[in-house]
Amino acid sequence: MRQGTVLGLYCFALIGESLQTFAKYLRSVPSLHEAEPVWSAPQDTVCIHIQRGELVYLGIVSQEVPALEVLELLEGVVLALVEYIGHLSELTIKENFATVYQLLSEMVDSGSAVTTDTSVLRGLVPVPSLVDRVIENVSGIGIRTEKRPDVNTSSTPWRSQGIRHTNNEFFVDIVERIDATVGADGSVVSYDVSGDISCKSRLTGMPELLLVMNRADAMDDVAFHPCVRTSKWHAERVMGFVPPDGQFKLASFHIATDAAPRLLPLQLRAAVSRQSDQSHTIEISADAGQSGNKLVEKIQVRVPLPAQAYNIRVQCRAGTHAVSNVRLPQVEWSLKSLSPADRGARLTIQYQVRAPSAAGTGAPQLSPSPGSSQSALAAFVDFEVAGYSVSSIKVDSLKMLVESYKLFKGVRYVTKAGSFQLRF
Amino acid sequence: MMNAALQTNFARLQIMKRKVLAALRKGENYELKTELNSEYKERRKEAVRRVIANMTVGKDVSGLFTDVLKNMHTDDLEIKKLIYLYLINYAKTQPDLVILAVNTFVKDAEDTNPLIRALAIRTMGCLHVQEVLDHLSDPLRKCLKDPSPYVRKTAVMCVAKVYDLSPTTAEENGFVEDVRRALSDSNPMVISNAVTVLTEINEMAPGQNVWRLDAKSVPTLLAAVNECVEWGQIAILEALADYTPKTEKEAESICERLLPRLQHANGSVVLTTVRLLLNYEKYVHRADLLSQFTKKMVPPLITLLSSEPEIQYVALRNINIILQRHPKLLSKEIRVFFCKYNDPIYVKYEKLDVLVRICSERNTEPLLNELKEYAREVDVDFVRRAIQAIGRLAIRYESSADKAVKVLVELLQLKVNSVVQDVVVVLRDVFRRYPRNFADVVPTLCEHIDYVNEPDAKAALIWILGEYSEHISNISNLLGTCIESFLEEEDEGVQLALVNSAVKFFLKRPQQGQALVLKALQTATEKCANPDVRDRAYIYWRLLSADPNAARTVALVEMPPVELESANLSAPLLEELVAELGSVASVLQKPSRLFVYKKADKAGVPRDSEMAYTGLDDAEGGAASAGDNGTTGGIDTSNEGEPELLISF
Repeated sequence: MRQGTVLGLYCFALIGESLQTFAKYLRSVPSLHEAEPVWSAPQDTVCIHIQRGELVYLGIVSQEVPALEVLELLEGVVLALVEYIGHLSELTIKENFATVYQLLSEMVDSGSAVTTDTSVLRGLVPVPSLVDRVIENVSGIGIRTEKRPDVNTSSTPWRSQGIRHTNNEFFVDIVERIDATVGADGSVVSYDVSGDISCKSRLTGMPELLLVMNRADAMDDVAFHPCVRTSKWHAERVMGFVPPDGQFKLASFHIATDAAPRLLPLQLRAAVSRQSDQSHTIEISADAGQSGNKLVEKIQVRVPLPAQAYNIRVQCRAGTHAVSNVRLPQVEWSLKSLSPADRGARLTIQYQVRAPSAAGTGAPQLSPSPGSSQSALAAFVDFEVAGYSVSSIKVDSLKMLVESYKLFKGVRYVTKAGSFQLRF
Repeated sequence: MMNAALQTNFARLQIMKRKVLAALRKGENYELKTELNSEYKERRKEAVRRVIANMTVGKDVSGLFTDVLKNMHTDDLEIKKLIYLYLINYAKTQPDLVILAVNTFVKDAEDTNPLIRALAIRTMGCLHVQEVLDHLSDPLRKCLKDPSPYVRKTAVMCVAKVYDLSPTTAEENGFVEDVRRALSDSNPMVISNAVTVLTEINEMAPGQNVWRLDAKSVPTLLAAVNECVEWGQIAILEALADYTPKTEKEAESICERLLPRLQHANGSVVLTTVRLLLNYEKYVHRADLLSQFTKKMVPPLITLLSSEPEIQYVALRNINIILQRHPKLLSKEIRVFFCKYNDPIYVKYEKLDVLVRICSERNTEPLLNELKEYAREVDVDFVRRAIQAIGRLAIRYESSADKAVKVLVELLQLKVNSVVQDVVVVLRDVFRRYPRNFADVVPTLCEHIDYVNEPDAKAALIWILGEYSEHISNISNLLGTCIESFLEEEDEGVQLALVNSAVKFFLKRPQQGQALVLKALQTATEKCANPDVRDRAYIYWRLLSADPNAARTVALVEMPPVELESANLSAPLLEELVAELGSVASVLQKPSRLFVYKKADKAGVPRDSEMAYTGLDDAEGGAASAGDNGTTGGIDTSNEGEPELLISF
């Protein structure tokens, strides 16, 4: 593991020690992704961490707390930092430490989470603008017109008073994800649909919106942004809310598994054969499935091969392919689009596996290292269908109350592959 | 010689390097000192930024204390915040210098801008210095009654810090009473912070019951929970979950009021609500309500499984506990727990546990197919657990045994070394459970005899050979080869199994077995170094020569059927973990006193503030000993002494 910089706000001896043992623990696991998120450190502290991008975010607790609260807080911290400084890396965090520090001290007050809502944070910590910083550094003169940060403690903490826009617009994006595992014969092993309703609001004043969905009952488990009045939802299955300004996630939902037909926009099959113990062939076929006659786009099939694979030959009918070998050999197959009218696409991978090293396990013809898999087991699939909602959930209407100006309303649907796997 | 010279050179280099670095550091601090005193505001600002940057990466910038302090009088909020951070960092090591800053804090606490008032109060609390305390009381008292809710909620938080430093100061100034009063504040955020602080004070002073949620405050909390931010909601829900309702009616209405909290995007809000509902099961008696509550828990729990892996992990650990209270809760959702190929290993282990737990007789078939897939994966431990899971299903449901054995035999034929070992061990247990059902599988098993090379698997295989000798055509050869290599075996279990199986074979087929058993017993008694093996062989030998019929009743007796070892937590531990659902304890599945830091002793004596950082409660067992308990596998051995013994499978 690479040595990383550690950013800590409160430098108690206790934390330093736990940090060191935690770093040791991270180095002791075979791969970083196998480190347990909740780890009990010998110093009578518990290390709770998440991994996002190339960074590890750690919370150290020394008394009993809800574990998920810490994880959600770390997640919230990451989201807020991303919104403030963009891509997060050791470098960008170091460059923006002043902002990071200020944000952390607003988000956490001596161990208790205060807020991670960026619309609130924006009122407390100014968003650094690159141009300002450059000019400041060059000329030594501050040009920023100091906008005094303000606190909003109204009943709608996510929206401040007096917002004005010349063009009033409201956009709704319904993004659905299919999590599925598909067997080699195309059968569905597991299937799950979840979705987000994301909005982008540019509205003047304090508008109150009413969003009505066509199949509200099919949404099995709905989690709302704090702005949504849950009582109204329970009584009338209507989402009533005063929207925050800008981009926000209004709700996320889950489709009841038994209520949804298992529609797959992409029909995938795989056939694996062995010519000999060393020589393997994988054939994958992709055909357009049920996608409401919409084009399935941005199809990507990623096939990780066993570590001992070599002499990899790939052929495909339609699309392009690439072989990479960063940590493990891997074949990537990309297809721009697939429509029902298209002839199905095919991918053939042939590879050989290095003969086992002669380390004597005592028994003949055994696989080399115990348990190591000699063949590829699964492919990871990505795709997108614009204009299609796999759950057939649609926006019935969007009304604005209180304010009375004209607004432009837009709705978009997209269905994507979530964690979508094809087994061999 | 060369070495010595090199070493001196190296040492010299090290000294030089240290000197240069020291000079550089001094140089940089010197430069910063100049900049901090610059007449241009922006240069001073940039210098403060750099000081903080150096502090972040662990450089010592404490020497700049007075120069940094000079910049405190400013209306630039960013500079103010950064300097406050600097103060917090060095307050512990230079408390007397911090006093110099007190005047500015006191002045800031009266600023017209509520943000600055709150910032001053918050920072003074964070300094955590006894000396500051005397200057803090007056501003804090004012801020607790501030017209701005933002200041009030910050001031409330500050009381916890004061209490931590000196409980007497907090009590004498009436701060704790002020916080109790804040429970009926008009602003939900102030209310939720008050709950947080009172809970924290209770933890700091165990046994003193500084605060107990009373029925009077419940309605305000219920109203506030819908309006405050997610973190405040968690605090209020936690407090309500530990509350004991006065009447059944009250319990019912609290549950009903809080059901909508299950639909929150924050997983912790969801899980804390689940905890509350489970805790209230003992107060609510209406069956229709109870079943409505449990039904409502299912979808949000399932949703947690489509979150990031870390959240999934915590959810799964807790689901494992919930299922021990409500075994049938998720039996319809089995497919949600199927492992993805790229799930992190810690998620896979938990899913596997849940799968075996919720599998009912009806859905063994799809699960067995699924487990077969897992047994083909790379990770040896995961593969082993998958194979053991197949065995558990076979033993638990007789109707699934045929399919399970079929799957196991298919896995055997993959001829992967570690898989063969694990399958043989599991097959032995299945054969013991159904002694007459699977004799026809034994010949196939014998075809793979060459692959078996780990002691456990060998012992299992030899036991099978002895038990099913009549079904194996070349049994004399097989057993013969094994006995040939008797002395090469280092494992006692294998040697004992060999002696036993040779005796069994002889008793079943005296003609064929005579030479074999003789050879086995001779080798064991004369050449084996292990006294237990020798003794066992002697006993058999005497028994066989004295009374073969008696030997038959000893060696060929039908064994008691294997019992499934319990994967459940002991009842008292389960109760404790359900009550604390969602907590770190529930994730680690051991009581919190075994791993978290004890702040104060049980007696509740007002303690020295420094104790919080140095003192350790040695009355409780350390985390290390808990780890030892955790590894205990095998049969349920919960003895009365250690109710928290964990049994894993």
